[in-house]
Amino acid sequence: MENGSSTARWCFRGNEAMTTESVSTIRGVLTEIYRNINEADPRPIIPLGHGDPSAFPCFRTTPIAEDAVADAVRSAKFNGYASTVGILPARRAISEYLSKDLPYKLSPDDIYLTLGCNQAIEVVLAVLARPNANILLPRPGFPTYEARAAFNRLEVRHFDLLPEKGWEVDLDTVEALADKNTVAMVIINPGNPCGNIFTYEHLKKVAETVRKLGILVIADEVYHHLAFGSNPFVPMGVFASIAPVITVGSISKRWVVPGWRLGWLVTNDPNGILQEYGIVDCIKAYLNISPDPATFIQGAVPQILEKTKDDFFSKIVDILRQDADIFYSRIKEIPCITCPSKPEGCMFVMVKLNQTLLEDIKDDFDFCVKLAKEESVIVLPGVTVGLKNWLRITFAAEPSSLEDGLARVKAFCQRHVKKQ
Amino acid sequence: MANGSSAKWDTFQGKEERNAASGITVRSVLDEIMENLNPSDQRVVVPLGHGDPSAFPCFRTTDVAEDAIVHAVRSAKFNCYAPPVGIEPARRSIAEHLSCDLPYKLSPDDVYLTAGANHAIEVLITALARPGANILAPRPGYPLYEARAAFSNLEVRHFDLISEKGWEVDLDSVEALANDKTIAMVIINPGNPCGNILTFNHMKKIAETARKLGILVIADEVYDHLAFGSNPFVPMGVFGSITPVLTLGSISKRWIVPGWRLGWIVTADPSGILQKSWIVESLKSYLKITADPTTFVQGALPQIIKETTEDFFLKITNMLREAADMCYDGLKEIHCITCPHKPEGSMSTMVKLNLSFLEDISDDMDFCIKLAKEESVIVLPGFAVGLKNWLRITFAVEPSMLEDALGRIKTFYLRHAKKQ
Repeated sequence: MENGSSTARWCFRGNEAMTTESVSTIRGVLTEIYRNINEADPRPIIPLGHGDPSAFPCFRTTPIAEDAVADAVRSAKFNGYASTVGILPARRAISEYLSKDLPYKLSPDDIYLTLGCNQAIEVVLAVLARPNANILLPRPGFPTYEARAAFNRLEVRHFDLLPEKGWEVDLDTVEALADKNTVAMVIINPGNPCGNIFTYEHLKKVAETVRKLGILVIADEVYHHLAFGSNPFVPMGVFASIAPVITVGSISKRWVVPGWRLGWLVTNDPNGILQEYGIVDCIKAYLNISPDPATFIQGAVPQILEKTKDDFFSKIVDILRQDADIFYSRIKEIPCITCPSKPEGCMFVMVKLNQTLLEDIKDDFDFCVKLAKEESVIVLPGVTVGLKNWLRITFAAEPSSLEDGLARVKAFCQRHVKKQ
Repeated sequence: MANGSSAKWDTFQGKEERNAASGITVRSVLDEIMENLNPSDQRVVVPLGHGDPSAFPCFRTTDVAEDAIVHAVRSAKFNCYAPPVGIEPARRSIAEHLSCDLPYKLSPDDVYLTAGANHAIEVLITALARPGANILAPRPGYPLYEARAAFSNLEVRHFDLISEKGWEVDLDSVEALANDKTIAMVIINPGNPCGNILTFNHMKKIAETARKLGILVIADEVYDHLAFGSNPFVPMGVFGSITPVLTLGSISKRWIVPGWRLGWIVTADPSGILQKSWIVESLKSYLKITADPTTFVQGALPQIIKETTEDFFLKITNMLREAADMCYDGLKEIHCITCPHKPEGSMSTMVKLNLSFLEDISDDMDFCIKLAKEESVIVLPGFAVGLKNWLRITFAVEPSMLEDALGRIKTFYLRHAKKQ
């Protein structure tokens, strides 16, 4: 340092509260697991840990979406700042798109554009957080909810999803957990991490429970319409006259473009409760000081939503169905892993690990680290999503890559099985 | 409402205090003023309230930038999630680009990508905030600092910029304001709202003052290189070995694409103090949970930075110079307005409103509302940036529109001038 003077006294420090608040997001855990990849392994890495199949050619998004973005940029009409809630044509297009599946019409004013669904989650939790409040989250779930709740000092209480019942919500625990400070419960449908689709009847019961408790539902529908089993996808907004629903979603999954960062927060509230209780004003105030999605991507939204053909959607769903079938039959061949429920939607499945059948595998995290090192396959340890000694496996991959990956998992398990 | 009772939704009340704190942003004040526009006025609305000339054909961004975006989207290589700090090629190109103007080389690891400079402000304030701490911000300044600080419970203390001295920092007031809980001071150069460029010597004094106080400098350089007067733009990072500097910037202003939402935070800190004091850790932690900029815009960045020609930059600064000159000369004829310092950078200038020359105009907001209603010209009232009864006038618009607007402001003045 200049002048050889002793270190100046610096008055600033990092924010320890933030760094120790173990930001264990999926990305963070996967990064750590990736560190164990053996560079010398010539085989391609099979990524079955994250919800992002965009790198696989078979999952490439529709040219319609690319065209829409190119058109928007070249028009030079969307280089400016957007309104804080998002530009009207985009909000209108989304309201029409979502209203197709609802018994009422959403207004463009019910739609708020966000930087992906993750930012919509950020907004909702920030708006609901206040001293002593608590929120009910599913276990297993999506750890961004826990991370944002911790950041906002919002207490989290977990209700269980029941593997023996197709991962339905244990509504008894929901009622037992809630108290006068509970503000909301989160439902992720199609289910991440479980790969389930909730039935109409079950969602209705959830809505009635929520009404009884006087809370609202946050319906995370980022995987909307990615359903390929016997249960059709039903948006929670269908039950919004029973209890208010805030839906969060995006184009990321259905169009396989998570990097585009275009999501939405929707107030499904035909009875105007959210308006009455100041939630709408809070959402607007929060968005006023928050970053926005790129204006030209907002500009491309009407074209993307209106012109994408059903062919594209069916193609994606067909690949996912094929993947789920491959997954379910291959996983049965691996004795130390049990799949309680065949996936019928979304991109993931939760499977139970019987690590007692394995030599020298301590737990799910250890399993994933060693799998990465020995087989160059990435899966997510269940502890990250709330279920220790389970695994979240992404089946959304090029089918041949999935086959390869599962074969390597099987080889790994056989190599590590306890000798009798 | 079904079943009549409203009490049961009490638990998720909105938060009035939170809303109030975030109330003042440039956008929200301008929205309020624009509500007063007269719909039957046939003339085009001239927007001299915000720093966004992207709508004007003469300010259209370079083809190079548009090409880069289209290229990145069509490559299908950037549809995926990006790492929280941003993709490496983008960070590298920014590090190289900024290092051109520094006496040391930045590493890609010194660069953190954000969704625009506004988001960079959010990340910095959130990472630095701790109970009881304070930061020093300029008056007049940029109200998002205050809004985000309020949101994070970080106290802001204001030091003055001296209008008689080209809007230099009143370093005596800085020293008087700081205490042992002060962690940083914000310097906006090129100046927003004042349109000034700080000299090398003055910036050195600022760095030395910061060092003496043991605080870091947040160098808001979002208008970097938009300098067209006699003072060249000098990045604060030049003095990074005197005191650690956190530089924030974006492509928004220099490339006239504020809607593309791509910004950065750079640690200009050759002595590594920010690392040692855990500031870097705090930044990284928050980046893990905050929103990300669109991956393909990150992907386009190397091409944008490498291939944009000097011609384009010269064209923009020449237009800004001419506009600034026109604005300064035009304002001389409007006697209720005094411009203390001819603008030499950025896109706007601060001018004093002499209410004593006017009949029935009560303050700056009243002036702006009536000007919008009667003349369809939008300017920003100074209270929004910390100086009541001043005005921030943006000169970065189509020259003919600027001329038109100056004519209309003069007409407005004459209409409201106090009769002698």
